Amino acid sequence: MAGTALLSVRNLTVEFDGRAGRLRAVDAISFDVLAEETLALVGESGCGKTVTGLSLLRLVPQPPGHIVAGEVLLDGEDLLALPERALRRLRGRDIAMIFQEPMTALNPVFSIGAQLGTVLRRHQGLSRRAARARALELLEQVGIPEPARRIDEYPHQLSGGQRQRVMIAMALSCGPRLLVADEPTTALDVTTQAQVLAEIGRLQRELRMAMILVTHDLGIVAESCDRAAVMYCGRIVEMRTTAALFSTPHHPYTVGLLEAIPRIREERLADLPVIPGRVPDLAQLPAGCHFAARCPRATDLCREVVPAPLPTADGGLVACHHPYP
Amino acid sequence: MSRSAARDAGDSPGHDTLWRLAAHKLLRDRAGLLALAVVGIYLLAAIGVWLGWWAQEWALITGSKWGPVSAEHWFGTNIIGQDIFQRGIYSTATAFQVGLLVAVLAVAIGALLGAVAGFLAGGWVDEVVLWLLGVIDAVPFYLMVAAIAFALADYPYSMHVAMVSTFWTGTARLVRGEVIKLRGLEFVEAARAIGVPGVTIIFRHVLPNTFHILLVKFTLVFVDAIKSEVVLSFLGLGVKEGMSWGLMLSESTLEFLAGQFNNLIVASSLLFGLVFAFNMLADALQDALDPRRAA
Amino acid sequence: MNTPLLEVDGLKKHFPLRGGWLRRVTGQLRAVDGVSFRLQAGRTLGLVGESGCGKSTLGRAILRLQEPTAGRVLLEGRDITAMTPAALLAARRRMQIIFQDPYASLNPRRTVGQAIREPLDVHRIGTPVERDARVLELLDTVGLSARVRHRYPHEFSGGQRQRVGIARALALEPALIVADEPVSALDVSVQGQVLNLVARLQRERGIAFLFISHDLAVIQHVSDAVAVMYLGRIVEYGPAALLYREPQHPYTQALLSAVPMPDPARRRRRIVLPGEVPSPVASPAGCAFHPRCPRARALCRQERPELRSLPGGDPGSQVACHFPGPG
Repeated sequence: MAGTALLSVRNLTVEFDGRAGRLRAVDAISFDVLAEETLALVGESGCGKTVTGLSLLRLVPQPPGHIVAGEVLLDGEDLLALPERALRRLRGRDIAMIFQEPMTALNPVFSIGAQLGTVLRRHQGLSRRAARARALELLEQVGIPEPARRIDEYPHQLSGGQRQRVMIAMALSCGPRLLVADEPTTALDVTTQAQVLAEIGRLQRELRMAMILVTHDLGIVAESCDRAAVMYCGRIVEMRTTAALFSTPHHPYTVGLLEAIPRIREERLADLPVIPGRVPDLAQLPAGCHFAARCPRATDLCREVVPAPLPTADGGLVACHHPYP
Repeated sequence: MSRSAARDAGDSPGHDTLWRLAAHKLLRDRAGLLALAVVGIYLLAAIGVWLGWWAQEWALITGSKWGPVSAEHWFGTNIIGQDIFQRGIYSTATAFQVGLLVAVLAVAIGALLGAVAGFLAGGWVDEVVLWLLGVIDAVPFYLMVAAIAFALADYPYSMHVAMVSTFWTGTARLVRGEVIKLRGLEFVEAARAIGVPGVTIIFRHVLPNTFHILLVKFTLVFVDAIKSEVVLSFLGLGVKEGMSWGLMLSESTLEFLAGQFNNLIVASSLLFGLVFAFNMLADALQDALDPRRAA
Repeated sequence: MNTPLLEVDGLKKHFPLRGGWLRRVTGQLRAVDGVSFRLQAGRTLGLVGESGCGKSTLGRAILRLQEPTAGRVLLEGRDITAMTPAALLAARRRMQIIFQDPYASLNPRRTVGQAIREPLDVHRIGTPVERDARVLELLDTVGLSARVRHRYPHEFSGGQRQRVGIARALALEPALIVADEPVSALDVSVQGQVLNLVARLQRERGIAFLFISHDLAVIQHVSDAVAVMYLGRIVEYGPAALLYREPQHPYTQALLSAVPMPDPARRRRRIVLPGEVPSPVASPAGCAFHPRCPRARALCRQERPELRSLPGGDPGSQVACHFPGPG
């Protein structure tokens, strides 16, 4: 793993207009993505992981969204300050994105080949014929069977797994340095999910590309990510290498989450460990640490003071007043 | 442990129904509020007429032929010296009477048949309703009305019957589609699993969830009915007793050559104002009531 | 041998596909294609499979929410598929269902209290006052406070709505509950709460569950026995512990190996299946799994393997494969 940061996010803060006023979906988070690494943004629904991913390319719908503060630095250039035209050129070329539901991201009235071709012609200036040849190559590369036939089919003729492969082909068509993948396999069946994840991993190594994987599934994090940032209510509560995170989780939320996942065990348990209560409403976030109300280690300090992210011995970060050792 | 925690979480203060959420949204929609206010003023005018507060002298000859605009006759008088403004206000009551009656009946019939057809979609009841919809929609509206008006020549409500029997189809189609969607939802399956009878499912679980469509459809049919009344009255197929904007417009044709436009101005302005306000209200209701946007 | 609570025998549910001018039947979608199993009172059978395998249709056909095409469903020895409407209504007191989508499973225009009371009203159980008291009792059972009964579904979180759905299913004190993916729409930290509630109900009230899920980990936590479905048929059946430890069918093995494990230290050899699940309209001849199976031979393409116990194997386990065995 190379040690240089490809992308630096500093102090990113995103808010949304709600019925009762502004909601803070992402609260001053900072992280780096190193060249060629896979960083997971992991957490439950509403934790801000998807909004973070979208904000990197300023894809948050505005309004109701507002990126109120922060920087996203790529080669020392702040993407949040770029004019829209420059940003559009950069999307796809330097940073590409894939989404959870490929059916909504593909245009139903154009064939796969036409949609891939458009991207290739616009970003790489290929001729119609060259674009088609390259599109075929890409479909082959992402493991679509019979690409010569599939290229003229329409999105509804493909299965969910194949559509996601087409999305990957489209995202990778211009050789981006960073891929932001938002729950790319959540809509797929478990055996298809395994295929697609294996495919993404292989392509990432071949293309020497970095990836931000947004997911709620800690199993996927463990199997395909180098580092992981655990998010809760808009904040990163713990960011460590995957091995360290799973062997010695420091933050009580991480610990609770790891225990709570239903996993295949040697013995069936009488009761699954759970995190009591539920994720607080973003409109009524408590002061101090957002997790305090559900935390077995919480003290008065936690209910009053927001814990700052502190470095751990292994080079990670944890934002907790009373972390597990 | 988990039990008590879940218990606390459900008790956040201030709970509201979907209707209250919709009202909240409507109150923040300025165009919608304005439209509501305008419709309210018209309704007040109509109620005043029904209660005998004003415009009771619409049929009396209170002035001279084609009297000019004056303090006594705000918009002048007509060919036989009746007050045009009073006639216009009185016609508002006619418009509401036609609109309300037709909209209530047409939407109710449409909702009922649409819901039954949608709930039994694919069966013979559905086929019959669909066939009926096709037949009615295939006959041109004014031909249909003329036929009914002719058949019920002496009946004072022949126009209403004609409108109701054609206007229900739009609601029926919409409701049928929505019910087919609702029928597949899990809360309807849950009701079936409990053993709730089909009729009860339709009235308790399905129809209430189409209320937002019915309300919007009601405003649209209302507008359609008022517009049709004007056209039919103009053609002599409409209002037989009393006064209406359509009759005023019909009367105004006699006045053009004499350079008199007061009937035309009053009737068409009042008609335009009400139709416009109702259309805006329908838009605002649609936005406020859409359950997908209420969440 | 005593009568099982539920006995499903050769159950089929085919959906005719219509096309062309006169909407003629052009094919059959075989969602459930000959399923048989037994479930004893108070036990849980986990039904696992990928989307489109027919597991949800099977659950609904058992409850006769969808009319089965063929086969029998015996609940406490009486055939549900042959029941008159009146008999079926009575039988509904003994069997209930919990749904997947907590947002669609409650009528948005009815309060939570009304939703839970409805089954009591329909079956005229107790006086109106007793019904109200019963609603409070049920809310308490599923861990919700009495005050929430006047609230509407949109005021609740997904986990809380799922509790309401469970309370509604419990109202009639059924002997069998079909749980169709009850936790797959919930967040991880809430899934555990709902699964524990289901496990507690089963222990304390002796309710039998047919627990349908695509998630093998969830299935393992709640099930005594597990049935794996592929294209409308059960391909492997057995006691949960044994099936997870020594799966015999290559599909079960692939399914188990595909589950991402939250443990980076223990990366396993993963069986990545080629291709995708074929359409249930045109399922392959012979063994439906053969186009994706690493063990497929000529026999598999010609002859469909029946579900059978293996000689010398566990008598309670069954597998539908010509060449079963550990992976």
